[in-house]
Amino acid sequence: MARYTCRRILTGFLSLFVLITVTFFLVRIIPGSPFQRGGVSETVVEAIEQEYGLNEPLFTQYISYIGGVLHGDLGISYQDPSVRVTEVIARAWPVTASVGAAALIVSLILGTGLGILSAVSGRRSVKQMISAGGMIAAGIPGFAAAILLMLVFSVKLKLLPASGLLSPVHYILPVAALSLYPAAMVSRLVSSTLETELTKDYVLFARAKGLGRRQVIFTHALKNAYLPVINYIGPASASLLTGSFVVESIFTIPGLGREFVGSITNRDYTLILGLTVFMGAVVILVNLITDLLCAWLDPKTRRAYREERA
Amino acid sequence: MLKRIRQQWKTYMGGSRMAAAGCIVLAVWILLAVTVPLVSPWSYSAQDAQIRNQGVSLLHWFGTDRFGRDLFTRVWYGAGISLTVGIASALINGAIGVLYGAVSGFAGRHTDLILMRIADIISAIPSMLYVILLTLVMGAGIGSMILGLCVAGWIGMARMVRGEILKLKEMEYAYAARMEGIRPLRILARHLLPNAAGTITVNLIFLVPQAIFTEAFLSFLGVGIEAPAASLGTIIQEARSQMMLYPYQMVFPLLVLCVMLLALNMAGTAAEQRAGGRMGTMRGREDR
Amino acid sequence: MNVLEVKNLSVQYPGAEGASEIVKDISFTVEEGGITGIVGQSGSGKSTAMLAVMGLLDGRASVQYGQITVKGKAPVPGRNIAMIFQDSLSCLNPSVKIGRQITETVRMRKGCGRKEAAARAEELLETVGIRNPALRMRQYPFELSGGMRQRVVLAIALACEPDLIIADEPTTALDAVVQAQILQLLRRIVRETGTALLLVSHDMGVTAAMCRNVYVMHGGRIIEEGAAEDIFYDPSEGYTRQLLKDAKGGRLREREKRNVDDPANREDALIRMAHVTKIFDADEGIRDVSLEIRKGEILALVGESGSGKTTAARILTGMIREDKGRLYYRGQILQRGRRMDSFGGKVQMVFQDPYASLNPCLTVRQALSEALDAAAGLAGRGAVDGRTAGHRLTDQEKEERIRKILALTGLSYSDADRYPHAFSGGQRQRIGIARALITEPEVLVCDEAISSLDATTREQILELIFRVQRKIGFACLFISHDMHVVRRISDRIAVMYGGQIVETGRTKKVCSDPWHPYTKLLLEAVPEPDPVRAKKIKSGPVKEAAGTDLPDAAGGCCPFAGRCGYALECCRRERPEQYVFGDRGVSCLLYSDEHSGRRSSAYRMTSQI
Repeated sequence: MARYTCRRILTGFLSLFVLITVTFFLVRIIPGSPFQRGGVSETVVEAIEQEYGLNEPLFTQYISYIGGVLHGDLGISYQDPSVRVTEVIARAWPVTASVGAAALIVSLILGTGLGILSAVSGRRSVKQMISAGGMIAAGIPGFAAAILLMLVFSVKLKLLPASGLLSPVHYILPVAALSLYPAAMVSRLVSSTLETELTKDYVLFARAKGLGRRQVIFTHALKNAYLPVINYIGPASASLLTGSFVVESIFTIPGLGREFVGSITNRDYTLILGLTVFMGAVVILVNLITDLLCAWLDPKTRRAYREERA
Repeated sequence: MLKRIRQQWKTYMGGSRMAAAGCIVLAVWILLAVTVPLVSPWSYSAQDAQIRNQGVSLLHWFGTDRFGRDLFTRVWYGAGISLTVGIASALINGAIGVLYGAVSGFAGRHTDLILMRIADIISAIPSMLYVILLTLVMGAGIGSMILGLCVAGWIGMARMVRGEILKLKEMEYAYAARMEGIRPLRILARHLLPNAAGTITVNLIFLVPQAIFTEAFLSFLGVGIEAPAASLGTIIQEARSQMMLYPYQMVFPLLVLCVMLLALNMAGTAAEQRAGGRMGTMRGREDR
Repeated sequence: MNVLEVKNLSVQYPGAEGASEIVKDISFTVEEGGITGIVGQSGSGKSTAMLAVMGLLDGRASVQYGQITVKGKAPVPGRNIAMIFQDSLSCLNPSVKIGRQITETVRMRKGCGRKEAAARAEELLETVGIRNPALRMRQYPFELSGGMRQRVVLAIALACEPDLIIADEPTTALDAVVQAQILQLLRRIVRETGTALLLVSHDMGVTAAMCRNVYVMHGGRIIEEGAAEDIFYDPSEGYTRQLLKDAKGGRLREREKRNVDDPANREDALIRMAHVTKIFDADEGIRDVSLEIRKGEILALVGESGSGKTTAARILTGMIREDKGRLYYRGQILQRGRRMDSFGGKVQMVFQDPYASLNPCLTVRQALSEALDAAAGLAGRGAVDGRTAGHRLTDQEKEERIRKILALTGLSYSDADRYPHAFSGGQRQRIGIARALITEPEVLVCDEAISSLDATTREQILELIFRVQRKIGFACLFISHDMHVVRRISDRIAVMYGGQIVETGRTKKVCSDPWHPYTKLLLEAVPEPDPVRAKKIKSGPVKEAAGTDLPDAAGGCCPFAGRCGYALECCRRERPEQYVFGDRGVSCLLYSDEHSGRRSSAYRMTSQI
C-alpha cells in the first residue's frame, strides 16, 4: 500500500510538472503583449516587459518560472505588480473552499437520502419523481440554475441576498446552485447501485439469517453501493473546491473562479498560469485521495495493490 | 436505410416514453431554429433604437433587447448556432474519442499508459483556456468555438471506449478470434468495436448537450462567439446587465436552452437504459 | 415427527402474458433429525419453492399455501429456519469481515454482547471444521477458499440455532474433493446437533449420498417421492429414469476407445510442452509442467479449480506467455511471443462459458465465415504447412463448408442467420464447437466446455465432441474438473494439482488403479447416483486444506503434502519430480528410487497406496 501510494504521488508530481510546462507555453504563444493597450507607447510596453523578464528567451523564462514554482512562488500579477499570485490564491481559496465544502456536504446528504429512498421505495411514483427531479437537476446548466434561483429568490421574492458572502444566509443560493448537479448524480448513483446490490445473494442470505430489511440496507448493502459514489464524488469535489467560474461570478463571490474569469478578461497571464497550476494540483491531489480511499474501502482492491509488489 | 434507422431506433429507444418526449421536443426545437430566422420579419442582428427593451407583445413574442432587436428571432437563431456547435463538436469529439480510446485500449501496456496520461494532462487544463487561445489565433467565431471544444472534449469518450475495449478484448470470443488468426485491426473493427456500439452511441448522444452546455457557459462568461452572431449563451450574457430591470430578456433564452438540454439528456438517458443502464458511463462535465 | 410440513404450496409470477406458475401445488415434509432431498433440473422451481417456504420471495410473487409450519409454528428466518445457498462467495458480503457476519447473526439471535458473540462465533467456526478461527474472523470472504467459505456460511446458519436448515445446492460450486468434505460435514452436523436438513440439488449423486427421503421435482411439480432406495433403484416415473440415466452417463460408456498403444500413434506428439513454468502473483500458476498431445487422441487434463489446468491450456494456445520452458509443435520449437501465428489457426479452442465465447454482434454464418476467411488468409500468407493451398474460398465453397459443419454439430442450416442470443446454452456450445472445427484444426482444446451446462445437455455435447473427434480424428485436449466425465471420454489422462501434473497415463489404468494419492482421492470423491455405493464415499484420509499450512509452494515441498494422508516426512522437504514407468508418470515421492524400493529397471512398479 505504501509503495502504491508513493508511486501515485510520484506520477502525480510528474503530471503536475507536465501540466505546468504545457500551460506555460500555451499562455506564452498567445500573440500580442499583455501590456499593449490603447494609448500605451511602444517604449513603455518594452520597459514593462523588461521588468517582468519578458524580453528574455522563452526557455530562460520557463526555467526561472519552474525555479519559482519549486520555491512556492507563482510570480507576480501582470495587472497589479504589487500582488503576488500566491497572495491571490491565499485570499481567494478559503472563500471558494468554504462554499465548495458546503455544497459537497449538502449534495452528499441530499443525494444519498434521495437515492436510498428511490431504491427502497415500493411506490413507483416516488421513484419516478426522484428520477425526474434528478434528470432536471442534472440537465440544467449550473449558470442557468444560478440565474433562475437568483431571479426567483432575490429579484422576485426578495427573500435571500443575491451577492457577496457576508453571512451564512448568503451561502444559501450559491450552495444550492452548486450542489444541484452533484446531488442529482449522487442520488442517481446511489439508487441504481443500491438497487443492484439489493438483488444480490448476500442480501438474501442476510435476510435468511434473520436480519431486518433496514439493517440489511444500512449495514450491508450501502457499504458496497457507496464505492461508485466515492469514485464520482472525488473528481467532482475537485471542481467544487477549486471554484465554479459562473456561480462565483453571478453571485459575486470573491473566490478562485472569479479570479480566473477576471484574469482571463484582463489577460493577466501569470495569474491564469498560476491559477491553472493550482487547480491542476488540487485535481491531482483529490484524485489521489479518491483512489486511496476506494482502495481502503474495498478489501479486494486493497489486496490487489498489496500484491502489485509481487 | 430507412429500415435500418427504424431498427436502430427500436434497439435503442424502443417503447420509451422518455425517449419519445425528448426526440419530439428536439425536433420542434430544430424546426424552430431553422425556420424562425428565415420567415421572421425581424432580423437577428438589425438594431432599432425605437423599440428598445420592449416587453412581450404580439409583435415581439419574446420582447426586444436593449438594442431593439427582436428576441424571438434572436433566441431561435442562437438556438440554431448552439445546436450546430453542439452537434458538430460532438461528432468530431466522438470520432477522435473512439479512435483514441480504441487504440489506447487495444494496444495496452505502455502505449495505453502514455496515451492516457496525455489525455489526463489535456483535460486538467480548463477548456476556457483553449477556447481563448483559439479565438485569439483564429478570431472569435463558430469555427474557433467548435475547435476549442474539441481540444479536450473527446477525452471522456476516449476513456469510455478504452474501458470497453479493455474489457471486451478479454472476452473469450476475442481470444477465439485471435486463435483463428484474424488480424488485430480486424478484430478491433469487427469483433470489439461493434460490441461497444451501444456505449458509444449513448455517449455520443450525451456529448451533444455537454458541448452545448460548455459553449453556453463560455459565451456567458464572454469568451467565444462574438457579435453580431449569437448563441444562447451570448444572448443570456447580454441580458445580464439588465437582469434586475428586464428579467424576461434572460428568462426566455434560458428556458429555451434548458429545455433543449433536458430533451437531449432525456434522449440520452433513455438510450442508456436501453443499452443496459450502465452507470459506469457517468460523465463528468466541466461545471465551473 | 416432522419438522417441516408444507402443504399445497403454489407460487405465481405475474408476467406480460398472464401469470406464470413456477411452483404448482407441492406438498412435502422433512423428518426430524434427518436429511430430505429435493432433486430436479435447473428451472424446475426448487429454489423458488424454498424461498417461498422461507418467506423471502420479493413482492411480485404471489404465494399460496395450505400450510407451512416448522414444528407447528410459522417459519421465521433466522429463528427456527435457516438457509444456505449455492454460491458462497456471493452469499457473504464482500466488504464485511467474516467475523462480523457471524457475530451479527449471533447477536441477533441471542441478544448478547460483542464479546460473547465473538466467543460463540469462534466456537461455531470450530464446529464446521475451520482451524484457527480467530484468524479467519479477521479475513474477508474473498480471502478464503470456496470450501472454507461454504463452511462459514454453514456456521452462520448454525448461529441461528434453527430447527431446520435448507441447503440449496450447497456443493454445486465446489470441486469434487471439497464437495465430499462438505457433504460429510453436513452429515456430521445433522447427527450431532439434531438439526434437520432439507437438501436441494440437481445432482443425483449428491442426493443419493445424503438423503433418506427424496422428492423429484420437474416443471414446478413434485412428480415422485419416496425413500432414496426406491427412487434410485426402482423409479416409477420416466423423467426420474432419464435423470438417472444422464447422471450415470450410459451412452458413452460402451463406446470403443481407440487403442493408443498402437505404435503408429505412439510417436506423433503434435504438441509438446516441456518443463513449462508460469507463476502469477502470489503462488498461483503452473510449475514445471510437461505434457504432450498425440495425433488423434483425447487427452484429458483434470484437476480442481485453481490447479492450473486453464493456465496450461492458455500457454499451449499462446494466449499467455510462459516464464520458462519450451513448447514444440510438430517437433519444432515455438517462438514465445508469436505462438498464435505459428499455429496458423491449426489449434482451436472451445470455451467454458457459451455466453462469452460467441461474439453477440455476428450471426452464426458471419462468425463461421470469419473463421474461414482468416484461415484462408493465413494459408495465403504461407504461415502454415503446404498441405492446404492458400486460396480464398468462393462464396459457394464457404456455404458448403458452413452447411456441412452445422450438420455435423447438430444444428440446422436455418440457424445460420440467427444471432447468438437466440440460442440456448447447449446450442451456443454447439456453435462454439462448429466455429472451432470449421477450419479443420489439428488440435482442439476444450476448456471446461461442458461444465456450465445441465446434465442432459452436458451428455449431448460430450457425445458430440466424442463422435466428431472419432470421425475427423483431430487431437483433443479435454480440460475438466469432473473425473466422471473424463474417464468416459479420454484416451489418456493427466491429473493436475497445485500447478503440477501429478499423474499421467492411460485413462483406463489410471482410473482403475490410481497411483497418486490425489488421483485416488479425486476418483473416490465423486458420488455416484446409487445410495448404497454413494453412502460409502469417504473423503479419503484428507486433512483439511489450510492455506497457511503449506510452507512455501515455491520452495521444496510436494504441493499435495498438506492434504495428503500418505505424506512422509520427506514430502515437506523435497519436491517430487516426475517418475516415469512405461506409459505412466507420477509425481510423488512414494515412487522415488529411495522409497519405492526400485533397484533395477526390470522392477515393475505397482501402486504404493
